[in-house]
Amino acid sequence: MQKSTAIDIRYLRVDYGNYVAVDDLTLSVSEGEVFGLVGPNGAGKTSTFRVLATLMEPTYGEVILGGVDILENIEAARRIVGYMPDLAPVPSDLKVWEFLEFHAAAYGLGTRAQRRDRVAECLEEVGLTGQRESWCREISRGQTQRVVLAKTLLHRPKVLILDEPASGLDPLARRDLRHALRRLAATGATVFVSSHILGELAEMCSSLCVMNRGKLLAYGSADDVRAQLGKNEKTITVRILARHEEAASWLGEQGSVYDLRITGQELIFGFEGTADGQADLLEGMIQMGFRMSAFQEKHSSFEDILVRVAETNRIL
Amino acid sequence: MSVDPVKFLLAEPQNPSCWMIWQNAIFRRYCQSRLRSKGLGIALLITILIAGFLFFILRAIGLDRTHLNPRDAERGVLIPLLVFQALILFVLGTAQVSGGMTAEADEGVIDYQRLLPMSPLQKVLGYLFGLPVREYVMFLSTLPFTAWGLWKGEVALGVWLPLYAIFITTTWTYHLTGLLTGTVVRNRRWAFLVSIGLVFGLYTVVPQMARFGLVFFKYLTITPVFFESMPGLLPRTAAAVVATGQKLAPEVRFFGLNLPEAVFTVFCQGGVILAFAAMLCRRWRRNESLLLGKLWAVGFFGWIQILLLGNALPLIDPGNLFPSREVARRFLAGSDWAPKAIEAVGMSGLYGMVTLLILYAMTRVITPSIDMQIRGWRRVRKQNHGSLPLFADASSSIGWVAVMALVGAFGWYVFTHALIESRWFPGHFVPLQVLAFFVAVLMSGGLGFHALLESKGGRAVALATIFVGLVPLMIGAILSTSSNRLLPAALWVSGISPISSPVYAAATLLSVSELPPDLARAAPIAFYFWLTISSVVTTGLIVRLFIVREGIAVRASGES
Repeated sequence: MQKSTAIDIRYLRVDYGNYVAVDDLTLSVSEGEVFGLVGPNGAGKTSTFRVLATLMEPTYGEVILGGVDILENIEAARRIVGYMPDLAPVPSDLKVWEFLEFHAAAYGLGTRAQRRDRVAECLEEVGLTGQRESWCREISRGQTQRVVLAKTLLHRPKVLILDEPASGLDPLARRDLRHALRRLAATGATVFVSSHILGELAEMCSSLCVMNRGKLLAYGSADDVRAQLGKNEKTITVRILARHEEAASWLGEQGSVYDLRITGQELIFGFEGTADGQADLLEGMIQMGFRMSAFQEKHSSFEDILVRVAETNRIL
Repeated sequence: MSVDPVKFLLAEPQNPSCWMIWQNAIFRRYCQSRLRSKGLGIALLITILIAGFLFFILRAIGLDRTHLNPRDAERGVLIPLLVFQALILFVLGTAQVSGGMTAEADEGVIDYQRLLPMSPLQKVLGYLFGLPVREYVMFLSTLPFTAWGLWKGEVALGVWLPLYAIFITTTWTYHLTGLLTGTVVRNRRWAFLVSIGLVFGLYTVVPQMARFGLVFFKYLTITPVFFESMPGLLPRTAAAVVATGQKLAPEVRFFGLNLPEAVFTVFCQGGVILAFAAMLCRRWRRNESLLLGKLWAVGFFGWIQILLLGNALPLIDPGNLFPSREVARRFLAGSDWAPKAIEAVGMSGLYGMVTLLILYAMTRVITPSIDMQIRGWRRVRKQNHGSLPLFADASSSIGWVAVMALVGAFGWYVFTHALIESRWFPGHFVPLQVLAFFVAVLMSGGLGFHALLESKGGRAVALATIFVGLVPLMIGAILSTSSNRLLPAALWVSGISPISSPVYAAATLLSVSELPPDLARAAPIAFYFWLTISSVVTTGLIVRLFIVREGIAVRASGES
């Protein structure tokens, strides 16, 4: 059965004076998906999230969340959205349960007893039942993230917008977060999440998009994104026993080789080409008489791809 | 624990009415944090100690030292307690509201509150009553002492009820001022200083303006109702003196109506409360919004003009509008008082100056930043529209500023006309051409300010305010104080400032004006000269504004 669209963004643009933070972004996310937004600093992630959360008016564009046009019906949109900002703050003058109870009351979640139950549920969901009576100002960064996540879950939003939810969490808590998001998606919620820990995002998300300088660079499943951004790029490591400089010089003359460096006995370089091209390169090295003790290939990781995207930022 | 799919339904919200404040989540959140037993206990202890000290010592003085009868002795505590209550709610409460609001922004939690599915008005009310809730409780803790004084002092209901009603509306006015300051000013310390400064200014600077015919401003304070109630609150001997004084004081009238002080105060404060609440609601709906919409701003400006005129015009014929009348009442016997011509000129000039300053403030409120204009143009170009909607925040406010300048000039003319053509200055009249000059003064000042703001931004306006608005006035003041010979030069230098132009207009255009000969020669030339320069500069700024706006529009077209 075709899933309906939970988030539909069309031609979204956000300007800060002459700076274009988000440039004609168009994408859609199906209901029940965990969708990851990846990009280096200044890519336009937080601006996109703030528009989706109705906290910022875009320069133009259309955003439909769960069938609600957020620019036309802001208050209806706020009922179905749960937003967790980057470095989520908490008020210093409230205890954990008071903070959650306040939000439960503001969302009109039933009687006091029902609200108390819901607060307990959410605290349990994020593993903070024991911190119920703690002051918000006294809990750790990771616990603060979890308290805000609990707050975000309180009103059972259709669309969850989580900006860097894993920052400050320890590995165990990250794993729990991953499981919690998957469980939420299984219940029909749509989760739109950003993270700098890209491998982790690839694991937890059913789809991804990569942004840089406000533009959408790639969009789809993790493999699709890798293919779109990384093409056939791979890193090859060759260990040779002698004549390293000569081998490096020969390799440098090959058109498909780039970013070559020598580390001890190893020559490490990027290779862009087909499998046949790679076989020809290996054959050429043998013919040149370079004595190889090892030959290893590795596809560019998400981290590599993103590092390259971020470096483009610096160059530009 | 996992989330139960069956339970995964959109919460059906219960949305209580705005006015059921006890069900307002934001109000309850602050009740929770600000009424904790430890903090509240200390606050109450200090409050009750001070209130109790005032109560017992003043009663003891009344009963045992000055041997007043018991009724008068009980009354003696009422005014000191009222002052203490005013300190709690007006000063501490206002500071708490502005500081609390800024703290929300500082901590970053204000975004959560923006997302709450409550109406903007519910949020405003939640903060308005929630942030100063401890101060309200402190105020309540002093009421038993006041109640005792009212009961045993046999103070009539008609005396204390209006007084405390106005006490509350004044509190709301100040707290809304604090809330607005806390919303607009991002720095916590500045927000605190500005809001307290505004309250302080209302009780010190503003009453001085009321002495010069701008009576409306004093109704933003509790002062008029307080003085009206005083005879009923004081011991009989003191009350008799105050009552005698009051008989001499000007009565409150609004055009042809004789309104009680309390009703008129509510009327004045109500407008301010409404305007402030509208500003806050706009900001809660959209953080990037201007504080007021264009129509709202023009309406608010017109409403202030009506209040200024409604208060002032009925006081002209009895002579109560003139500052010298008050002096004559207090220090001079006999009834041969008559206002001086210079008073009328000064009052007309002051009216124009205050109108110009209000025009500046309203212009600041409705003029879009360059960033907002760029965004607006990009939006309309994307939607294939030819121009920005008339009422949109991003559209130019030049037309609206011009409308306000016209309204202000008309109000100024009506005031001046009534003043100069009153029975006090027979033979003098104000021709219609004066209206044209008043329009020119406000148009050149207002539109110049606007064009600079809209095309260059707030920083350019701040610099212009300092170097064109204030520095010439300062230099003029120094020159005029240094030597009488320098008075004409001082007049010329001060004339550079657009703020001074209404005073120059009154001194030049009114037939009743009587300046010393050297000033009488210099003032008109300086006025016409600087008005011409100001008009030329304003025209240049407007042309530049149109070029800038055209540039933005063309750029937005190219991009889309």
